[in-house]
Amino acid sequence: MDLFNEMAKAVIEGDEEKTVSLAQEALAKGVDPMEAIEKGFAEGMKEIGRLFEALEIYLPQVIISAEAMTAGVDLFRQHLLSKGGETSQKTVLLGTIQGDVHDIGKNIVKIMLESNGFKVYDLGRDVPVFDFIEKVKELRPDIVGVSALMTTTMVHMPKLIEALQESGLRDQVKVMLGGAPVLPEWAKKVGADGYGESAMEAVRVAKKLVGLSSEGERA
Amino acid sequence: MRDSKRFFDFIEVIKRAESGEAMKESDYDKRLGRKALSLMKQYEIHYDPQCIIPSDDGLADRIFQAAVNLFLDMGVYCTDTQRVISFAPEELQWALENVPQEVNYGRDKETITVYPRKVEDRRDPVCFFSAVGTPVTEEMFLPVAQSYAQEPLADTFSGPLITSYKGISVTSGSPIEVEAAIWNTQMLREAARRAGRPYIGIHNFQSTGEKTDATIASAQEKFGAFPGDGLLVAAIAEMKVDFERLKKVAFLRQSPYVLGALYGPLMGGYAGGPEGTAIALVAHHFLGLLVFSGERHNSFPIHIHHVCNTTREMLWLISVTGQALARNTPLIIASNAFMASGPCTEMVIDELCAQSITSTVSGWHLNPCAVAKNRYPMRCSGMEPRIHAEVGHRVAQIGLTRKEANRIVLRLVKGYEKAIPEAPIGKMFHECYSVDKIRPTDEYDSLFAKKKKEWGGLGFEVI
Repeated sequence: MDLFNEMAKAVIEGDEEKTVSLAQEALAKGVDPMEAIEKGFAEGMKEIGRLFEALEIYLPQVIISAEAMTAGVDLFRQHLLSKGGETSQKTVLLGTIQGDVHDIGKNIVKIMLESNGFKVYDLGRDVPVFDFIEKVKELRPDIVGVSALMTTTMVHMPKLIEALQESGLRDQVKVMLGGAPVLPEWAKKVGADGYGESAMEAVRVAKKLVGLSSEGERA
Repeated sequence: MRDSKRFFDFIEVIKRAESGEAMKESDYDKRLGRKALSLMKQYEIHYDPQCIIPSDDGLADRIFQAAVNLFLDMGVYCTDTQRVISFAPEELQWALENVPQEVNYGRDKETITVYPRKVEDRRDPVCFFSAVGTPVTEEMFLPVAQSYAQEPLADTFSGPLITSYKGISVTSGSPIEVEAAIWNTQMLREAARRAGRPYIGIHNFQSTGEKTDATIASAQEKFGAFPGDGLLVAAIAEMKVDFERLKKVAFLRQSPYVLGALYGPLMGGYAGGPEGTAIALVAHHFLGLLVFSGERHNSFPIHIHHVCNTTREMLWLISVTGQALARNTPLIIASNAFMASGPCTEMVIDELCAQSITSTVSGWHLNPCAVAKNRYPMRCSGMEPRIHAEVGHRVAQIGLTRKEANRIVLRLVKGYEKAIPEAPIGKMFHECYSVDKIRPTDEYDSLFAKKKKEWGGLGFEVI
């Protein structure tokens, strides 16, 4: 369908006005919003992800495209809500672990997860283990995603997993780890459910963990 | 001892961190990307994959001017106050004109004076041998550190880090971090003694401790941190600082230790591609000078996916930023080498050669090196910086030109670049060194000899 191609193109070009107007056009034509997101906007963002992995584009372009997609998706969501429809999304609680202030990687993962339909609660950087636990209790996310850039902070990651167990929450949430010093074998050893070497891999693993995809899992 | 009057007023920096323009961090990040992109166009800065080491002085000068523009327009973001620390053009100019143009490390006969290098400088680069905080076990810390300190071309050294101390995980902010940090400093000085160089400068005597309290706790002469040693204070990518860093600066300004400023912008990140990241890296040096009162500057720009700086675009970035700074400032700058592959592989030797040639001919001192993408425990040894330093010394001694360097480095890069995404992680320290004798295995020595022979075929003889 040409409309879906145009929607994907508008995301790739980071044209926010266009994504909004195309969403309006889709609604006017009676296109199912979820189908339009999946076959239009999400396809565009998938291409952006591919281009970023190949470093044919850089983070600023990824951010612009993600914002364009969000604008269009928001319009669809408002429409669904006004009709009393369901807009349920899988949720991820994201943060950089206690003591670590390096969050570029975490921020890229956030963009990619949101662009792939996840609702992300971003706790930011230097997040104490206790804060993760409190937010898991409050928000009941499907996944907790934790990143670290330093070996002295990644050692807090197993403590988070232990704290989830002690709080009786471990069975209710999947845990994904990532960050430069985190190796897949280590993530598995400390009891994580998933590991992402890159932002795109994090998306693939997150989808697998919540049953949205059957693609590969690393940890 | 530093002359504080020759650096921008640090109290004024703190005031500005509290009173500067308030801004959301995500807005600052986006603004940086847009600004870097517009400056790239305005100053006509273009990356050429066939010209890794440009001989174009005009390009270097335009990158410098673009960086000045970026720094003055963006300022430095303080994440704790969510405010921008801004500077006026005359403040930057004053800082560049007044910065001391030499800094000393070490004591007695081990004293080394570091100076600003020039493009195609025929003076030997100063070589800061470093394990760049590679995680090692407690029992291997000393032999690994000694393998760096004992190298004849090591002008200074620093160490790996430990993630476990006396059976307890060393977690950031915990009491064990302070204990381990003190032990770290003691062991580095012990490594210097065992290497027969008790007074060699330790340019960063703390790798295990990250928090300011742990760092300061370890900064005592009785633990082996002598006047003439140093510490590195790292900016947060891109163009950001926080109170934790500024607290280290507050201490170091009044200490006998050399304050090195450290920057690791991500190519492909907020500043964009190689051009935008080159502009941002030069601008980071102004951050280090004005916000950190840095006496010398250490850079490790890295590829956002491959976590190394030996790809084609990373080497270009290193070359043009070195040239921009060397041609336009009196700053003392060092290039921190990040290899994709690990110890005792043919690939790491070629990567080290390419990075060292590029850095040395472009005006940098050398800070070798992180290997195996700086993420695999026990994968580091004194042999990798030896290779890097030998190449750097040779480049200076024979007076290699940028043009000739470009020809050689292009050949080297073509040989290994396809292997970078899945680079071999190589051998652990005890697999490529005799731990008893603290010397490389015959296998590692032979590999280096073989590579030197190959490089001779490229017209680059390393004796």
